[in-house]
Parts: sequence; C-alpha cells; structure tokens
Amino acid sequence: MTDEGLLDAERRRFNRWALTPSLIILFLIAVVPALYLLAASFTPFQLTTPGSATDFSKPLRNYRLLPGDPRFVNSLFVQAKLSFWGVLFQVLFGMLLALLLNVQSRFVEFARTFFLIPMVLPPIVVAVIWKLIYTPDISPLYYAAGLLNVTLPSLTSSVDFALMSIIIADTWEWLPFTFLMVLAALQTIPDEFAEAARVDGANRLQIFYYITLPFIAPILLVSAMFRLIDSVKAFPLIFLLTGGGPGSVTEVTNYYAYLLAFDTNEIGYSSAVTVVMLLLVAAISLGLVWMGRYREVSA
Amino acid sequence: MARNRSTDVTVVSRRKLLQAGAAALGASAFPLPAIAQAKPYAGVTLHGASFQHRFFTLLQNYIPEFEQQTGMKVDLQLSAFPVYNQQANLELSSGGSAYDFVNVTFILAARWVAAGLLANLDEFTSDPNLTPAEWNPKDFVDGAQVPYRDAKGATYGYSWEGGAMLMGLSRMDLMEKKGLQIPKTFTELQQVCAAINGTDNVNGIVSFQLHHWCLPPYIQGFGGTIFRNPPADIMPTLNTPQAIEAVEFYANLLKNYAPKGVLTYTEDQARQSLLTGRSNIFIHSSSWVTPILLSGESKVKDTSRVVRMPAGPVHDHPASNSQGLGIPKNAKNKKAAWEFIKWALSPEISMRLVKEHGHSSVCRRSVIGSEEYRKLNTVNGQDLGALYLEVLELPAKGENYMAYRTVREFPIVGDVINKAVEQVVTGQLSASAALSAAQEQAVANLRRAGSAL
Repeated sequence: MTDEGLLDAERRRFNRWALTPSLIILFLIAVVPALYLLAASFTPFQLTTPGSATDFSKPLRNYRLLPGDPRFVNSLFVQAKLSFWGVLFQVLFGMLLALLLNVQSRFVEFARTFFLIPMVLPPIVVAVIWKLIYTPDISPLYYAAGLLNVTLPSLTSSVDFALMSIIIADTWEWLPFTFLMVLAALQTIPDEFAEAARVDGANRLQIFYYITLPFIAPILLVSAMFRLIDSVKAFPLIFLLTGGGPGSVTEVTNYYAYLLAFDTNEIGYSSAVTVVMLLLVAAISLGLVWMGRYREVSA
Repeated sequence: MARNRSTDVTVVSRRKLLQAGAAALGASAFPLPAIAQAKPYAGVTLHGASFQHRFFTLLQNYIPEFEQQTGMKVDLQLSAFPVYNQQANLELSSGGSAYDFVNVTFILAARWVAAGLLANLDEFTSDPNLTPAEWNPKDFVDGAQVPYRDAKGATYGYSWEGGAMLMGLSRMDLMEKKGLQIPKTFTELQQVCAAINGTDNVNGIVSFQLHHWCLPPYIQGFGGTIFRNPPADIMPTLNTPQAIEAVEFYANLLKNYAPKGVLTYTEDQARQSLLTGRSNIFIHSSSWVTPILLSGESKVKDTSRVVRMPAGPVHDHPASNSQGLGIPKNAKNKKAAWEFIKWALSPEISMRLVKEHGHSSVCRRSVIGSEEYRKLNTVNGQDLGALYLEVLELPAKGENYMAYRTVREFPIVGDVINKAVEQVVTGQLSASAALSAAQEQAVANLRRAGSAL
C-alpha cells in the first residue's frame, strides 16, 4: 500500500472512532426506544395485565385489528386534512408575508421580529392563547363580533369549524418558519434579474412567476417538507382546544395513540398505531427527499 | 505558680473534656432504643404522591407536626391530575417501589385493586398494635369506601374526599320571578332550563367535558344501565331504549340551554359560569357546586341554592365518588406509610380541616355528623353536610348503582360514551345511531383489551 493509501486508511479509522460515541448515544436514545416500540406493538401489552408485555403469542394481532378500527382509520383522514391545509396555508401565507416584508426599512425590520414571536412560544402557550380566543364567554373575537351584531358559532365545538380552528392556530404558530426561510432566500436573489426583466417590460406578476418563484421553489419545498413532518406533532393544540372532538372530528392519529396508551392503558395496540404512523411519516419524508433529488437531477 | 496553676487547670479541663466526649460517645451509642421508642420512624423518609388538590395543600400545613411526632420525613409529590394518574399508573403497574403511599384515584381504583397493585390495609387495621380502636375504620362513609374494596371485601384504600353529585342553582331570583320551583324531576329540569335560558343573559344549564360522569345518572334515571350487571357481567348496554332516551334528554339540555362551546368546557369553566351567575344550573360533585354558597368568589351567594339533583322517571341515582389513600404493594416503608395514612385521615385532622379551613368534603361519618360540622355547613338554612352524606351513602344502600364506575374496564367504555354524546349534541348522529355505534365500538374495544364478554 502506498503512503497515501495508508494515510486514507488511518483517516477512515480515525473517523470511525470519532463517530462511535455519537452513534452509541444516538442508538441508545433513538434506536433502542424505537425497537422497544416495535416489540411492544407485537404484544397485547396492557399496563394492568401482568405478563402481557412479554406475550408474543399473536404478534400480528394488533396490526390485523387496525384496518377494522374506525377511529384509527378516521384519525388518518383527519391527520391528512390537518397536514394538507396546515402546510398549504403556512407555505402560502409565509411566502406572501416574506414577499411583503422583503424591503429595507426600520419598521419592516421591527415587523419581521414581531412576526417571529409565535414560533418561539412554547406550544402549550400557543394553545392557551387560542383557547382564550376561541372561548365565546371571554374571547375578544366574540366580543367584537357581538358589537357588530354578528353571531359566531363556537368554533372549537362545531363540526364544521373545529378542524379549521386547529389549522388556523397551527398556521399562526408556524407561518413564521416559512416566512423566515423564504425571506432568507429572497434576499439572495440579485436585483439585476428583476431590473433586466422590468427593462424588458415584465410586470410584477411576471417577475414573480419567472424570476422569484424559481429561486425560492427549493426553499418552499424544504419548508413544506419540514412542516409536513412537524404537522403530525400538533398535539398540544388538539389536547387543549378540542380534546379530539367534537366526536372524532379533530382526533388525529397521535392523539388517538395517546388516548389508547394513557386513558385506556392499551400500550401494545397504541404502539402498533404509533409504528404505522412512524412508517407513514418516514415514507412521506423519503418521498419528498426523492422528489428533491429527482428535480436536481432533472435540472 | 500562676503558670503551673494555669497548666493544671488546662490539664484538668482537657481530661474533663475527654471524659465528657467519651460519655457523649457512649451515650450516643446506647440510647438509640430509647429514641426509637419515642420516635420509631426516626430517619425514615416517606415518599408519597397525589394529584394537586386543596386537601393536600391544607394537609401540608400539618405535616411538620406529624414529622415532629414520628421523626420521619414526608416527601409528598403533587402533580396535575392527568400527569399524576399517568405516573402512578406506570409506577404501580411496573411493580415500582418509588412511592410508600399514593392517592388511589377513583377512576383507577378498580383496576389497581383488581390487578393486586395495592397492599391490603385490613392487615394494618386488624392489628391493635398498628391501629388503635379509636381510629375505627368503620367510621368512613360506606358509599365512599366501595371503590377500595375487592370482591372479597378486603380494603385497599381509605377515602380522603367524597364527591356527591348535587345540583347548584345560582339564580333563584329569576326563577322566583317566573314562578318556577326547584326542579325535582327530569321533566321539571328541562322546563326550568327552557324558562330561564336567555333571561338576563343567563344560560339554563352548564356542564363540562366528562360526559361519562355527568350522563350515567340520566341513563339510570330512565331505567338504563352502563353494563349488564357489573362487576360480574361487563357487557355494555349502551344502545338500550332507556340509554337512547337519556342521551336525547341530556344532549337536548346541552344543545339548547347551555353556553356556546359547552362541549369544550372544563370543570373550572363550568364552575365559573355558575359562580358568576352566567348559568343557572350546574349538576356536579359537591365540591364543585357548594362554592356558590361558600366561596368568596361567588357573586350569587344570596340567590343560590344547593339541592339533590332531579330524579328520573324510574330511578333517583345521583352519582358519587371518592378519592383514597393507599399503599403500593411493593412499597418499601409500608408500616411508616400506614402511620401517615392513619394520621392524615384521623378524626382529629379531618375535624381540623373542617374547622380551620372549611374543607367539608371529608369522609368520616363522626365528623360529618358532628354539631360543629353542621353549624359550619349550614348556609341560608341549607344543611349541606346532611345533603352530602345522604348522596354519598346512597350507593351502599341496596344495589350499588355506582358499581359501573368501579370496574376496571370503565375508562374504555367511558371514552366511547364521551364521543357518542358529542356526536349527538353536534348533530353528527342521532342518539340511536350514535349509541348503536358506541355499543359496537365498546364491545370491540373491550375485546381488544382482553376482556371476556
């Protein structure tokens, strides 16, 4: 082996040793719990039934029950609706806000900081804020509507508006994320392109469509991907605002898994629900990553 | 000389000091049994847990006295209700020994007792060396003790709080103006709610999210049941004509006479609505309803009444519950924990809580029946203590109609009931359709959870 080859082998060995502690920690905090979750999903584990945690006699029982469980199936649809509308609004309004505030001015700089506040608030605080807004007795929204002689329904306990009320609160909380990402991308676009287009007679819409959008499209995709994965975690809002109701109108899959595990103690079945959810999220993430790579290759 | 004298003095002093030191060492080695006799639990740290409740907040004021008497240290962890229930459930189910005593939450009592997660307290009460006769376990209200007994009658907890379902009316002034009497039947309840709702911006009735607590008295009132014959036969009976009638009735109250958004109301919101007179009627446990007469927060003290909830056409079964203290089966300091429970639930401490803090939801009959208690809890001529005791005792008389709530599978069915009520109130399904679906789902969920039906 040449000196260079020896050096490479040495470097690789060093890299492996350097990575080992991180990998061990990652294995302990991520892989082991995931394996435990998977193992639990193969059992009828009930907290109050001794021995059920190690009963692997019917490993696929929980998974066979899932398609016939109407609440589980419904929770997937609810999650899909929540994720679709939530991500759409966050990306759309975040982009519009970024376009609006992509100018140099002190006021705008202050406004940018102001718009970031919801994102840095603890999720439970966000839920409490919206609980106040949505509670007819004490809400300024209902008070204002009353002054205008407008009768608003109770948003969080209405079949038609409960899910939308969660989407609105989720959008308010996470819109700043997309806003920030798009704003950063907008500031990297050289002014010359827009100026040249203007000289050629392009209007604002054309400049946006042909120059700005292609620049920010990858960022929009990344933002949407992050928000899509994160939208599965809209737990505090649902917990505090609707409790999954009315009926099962806002019962998303992770909330259902929580109820199964902690209200009715069905740890085994809840684990199966969680594993399916995990697989779906992983599949969507991989799909989006693949789409991103495909676009890069195509370009 | 002076120097010598001085030296002598020093020598003597050192000797004396050494002697004294030796004596002290000897004394510290041998008098331990004497100290132990006076304070047998000296050095023991007792770990206990419960959810946050006024009872424990008040008890914490007295705990230094207990520590002084026994020599042990009490480490009492208080968490929010759902957090505590989850922690304790996990701890006990996994056979942990982190706690020496725990709150036995009503909704978990049957599961914990049936699964053998708690120590049998009869072993302590039957030993005169551990429990003096005057502590008298039979002094606890029988109805409040039902959840803490197993099928053979062994006791696994003693109740520190009883909840008796009562009806609070905050706007008797409006009712009198309209010539309305206090409703005594379901039909009258509906009529009063209809007559008051909207008058002076007052809602007819208020309730909160836990329909599996609020609804069963209506189901039973119309002659229905939750299970066929609990605890022996836990086949749900949610789609009977009586249950359908009850859900229609209850949903009608919430839909037409309750505040907007009542389906998302917490207990606190409902209580506030009653205490501020924004809602006329609230039917819930005594500790949530009696504040309209007793609390400084109440804006409707002069126009309020607290009475028995209306009776149904078939039965008069107001709900009741209790919270208890118990000892985990694997607790490290069982005897010390029993000392604490004995002390915390003694007649003396119970009476002090009543007299010094107005905490009236205790479960000792001797305290509730005392003249002092009666005086303190008689407001506007209403003897709240007698009312509380009357309701709390009901399940122990004749059929135990609260048995449905003590079966360990109840949370599974309760969750289904909650969903069904919400579906009916919001018009997603008719009562009949919602309860048929609920019955089907309750059976499926129970079977999935391993129950043999």
